[in-house]
Amino acid sequence: MITVDSSPYSNSRKFKEFSHYIASPQRYYLLPFKFHRLSPGKEVIVNEIGDLLVIPMGTTGRIVAGEINPDNISDQELFADLIANFFISVTPLPELIEVLATRYRTKKSFLDYFTSLHIFVISLRCEHTCHYCQVSRVTSDKNKYDMKRFHIDAGIAIMMKSPNPHVTMEFQGGEALLAFESIVYAVEKTKIEAEKHNKKVTYVICTNLALLTDEMIQFFFNNGILISTSLDGPAFIHNRNRHKPHASSHQLVVEGIERCRQRLGEEGISALVTTTALSLEHPEEIVDEYVRLGFHNIFLRPISPYGFATRSTDKNKYETARFLDFYKKALARIIQYNLDGYFIREDYASIILKKMLTPFPVGYVDLQSPAGLVNNVVVFNYDGAIYASDEARMLAEMNDLTFKLGTLGEDTYEEIFYGNKVSTLSEVMINEALPGCSECAFQSYCGADPVFNHTTQGDLVGHRPTSAFCERNMEIIRYLILTMDEDKKKEKIFRSWITGKS
Amino acid sequence: MEVLQNDKILKVAIDAEIYPEVVLLKCLYWYSNTFEVDVRKSSTSQYEISLKAIRHPDKVDWAIILLKLKQDLIDFKLRQHITDETKTIRELIIAKAFIYYDQQEGPVSEITDPVGFNPQSVKV
Ligand code: SF4
Repeated sequence: MITVDSSPYSNSRKFKEFSHYIASPQRYYLLPFKFHRLSPGKEVIVNEIGDLLVIPMGTTGRIVAGEINPDNISDQELFADLIANFFISVTPLPELIEVLATRYRTKKSFLDYFTSLHIFVISLRCEHTCHYCQVSRVTSDKNKYDMKRFHIDAGIAIMMKSPNPHVTMEFQGGEALLAFESIVYAVEKTKIEAEKHNKKVTYVICTNLALLTDEMIQFFFNNGILISTSLDGPAFIHNRNRHKPHASSHQLVVEGIERCRQRLGEEGISALVTTTALSLEHPEEIVDEYVRLGFHNIFLRPISPYGFATRSTDKNKYETARFLDFYKKALARIIQYNLDGYFIREDYASIILKKMLTPFPVGYVDLQSPAGLVNNVVVFNYDGAIYASDEARMLAEMNDLTFKLGTLGEDTYEEIFYGNKVSTLSEVMINEALPGCSECAFQSYCGADPVFNHTTQGDLVGHRPTSAFCERNMEIIRYLILTMDEDKKKEKIFRSWITGKS
Repeated sequence: MEVLQNDKILKVAIDAEIYPEVVLLKCLYWYSNTFEVDVRKSSTSQYEISLKAIRHPDKVDWAIILLKLKQDLIDFKLRQHITDETKTIRELIIAKAFIYYDQQEGPVSEITDPVGFNPQSVKV
């Protein structure tokens, strides 16, 4: 039998001597778990709190039929693993049910504090003309496309009302630095309000760095502001994705990263990849570029549904298959760098691995149940509109206001966060209760994404068999588990990604 | 399991005692991406299901589909068995998890969405 040492607790749980089980008249009772076929010879079982065990094909049937017999030498190890990892219990009510309940609660503890990430779309203006971007505006009309001061004030007031003692204020665009004075205003105002409301605020600015000045860097430094930029790979990919008239966007971002690093330190700046059709043909080159620039992580973000996914099932299936192929090739390259001694982590895998291999939840909006929208994130648009997530506001740019929660300065906190809209949405935000997901073994590693469902399928509930979100996550999760099971060296690398230690 | 098949459609008669409606529906849900699925009760003890390819019916290998269907039915029956048998304990775990509201001091990340930041310097 092959097992994954999945649980950090498996060595520490209270464990009884083997004779205890052998003496039991009723061998065992089932605890809630789900299973998935991994490969022709293997299946995986995952329990209610996300612990997993890889077992030979057909074993689930034997477990359910009550055939795992601790008297048989060949079953002893499996029996012990099943007990230790809460798949079966020798008593109808497991003695450690309190532990199970506590761990379940811990997995959902991201709900405890409610909304943390507050995105301020400080300006819709941008000096780039990226072909895939349907949102930004190349214009100098500040009045129309920059966030007004009274909207900024109202957004800060809402952020201060969040029950969360630790909030993040993230500035996005367009190109956020085009409205640098508004950012300065917002940060200064928030500092005063945070003091009054006893809140810890983390500031993040998302920028392409093209307009970076020394004065800006100094302001970031003085206020501990983190910079999140976009780097799509080597120049031939980045510049094609991000067209900037009369300039090399790639050169500007690389120089900007370097300048930020010098003043803010390595940890002060991060970069994200936007995957486009061109990127899909160059997985290795993209990873190589991140390594060349000294990054220790790369986030192979799935393609946004706004560029690719349409309501055509055939096309989506094709695009998802291409993305998965890209992802696996890039992941192989990343693993190889690690094997060769250079620590670099892939962030999407790390989010999933953390959910698999630790008892803790992960603050990543797209892979949560209940969904991250509203619970974790809210977006204040440049025009004062409030949306349930970043994708929701992009949808609004296409005149779909399904996820608009209200307007800054007009609606109260209660109306926005506890109103009818959110209450309706909450019914489709829990993957434990969604068709298809409810029986899925990967439920606790995956999430619910009603915005994606609505955008790609015209339905908040969504149809899992044709969902690109489902197909992509199911395959990535399956692939990660199988990779760990087949190669212990790779498992070790994956574990190092969670701890951040090579 | 009785099987009737031509180039365009696969019809299977299923014993309702062995595969109750809930198992059939959960299983066939996953066929609805490529097939038009129809389920009807043909007698008190039997369901008749039919699968008709939505696209490219000429390319469907019905023998493979039938094999997969049989396998999936067993899988979903197993899943249903686990769900039914563990329903009470599952409810109990969830109830116990949330009954006493007591905020946990989990490891809080320095930033809300730590994706993209250097894993060796930002606590996630
Ligand atoms: S979306 Fe797909 S992979 Fe994710 S939980 Fe639902 S069924 Fe499973």
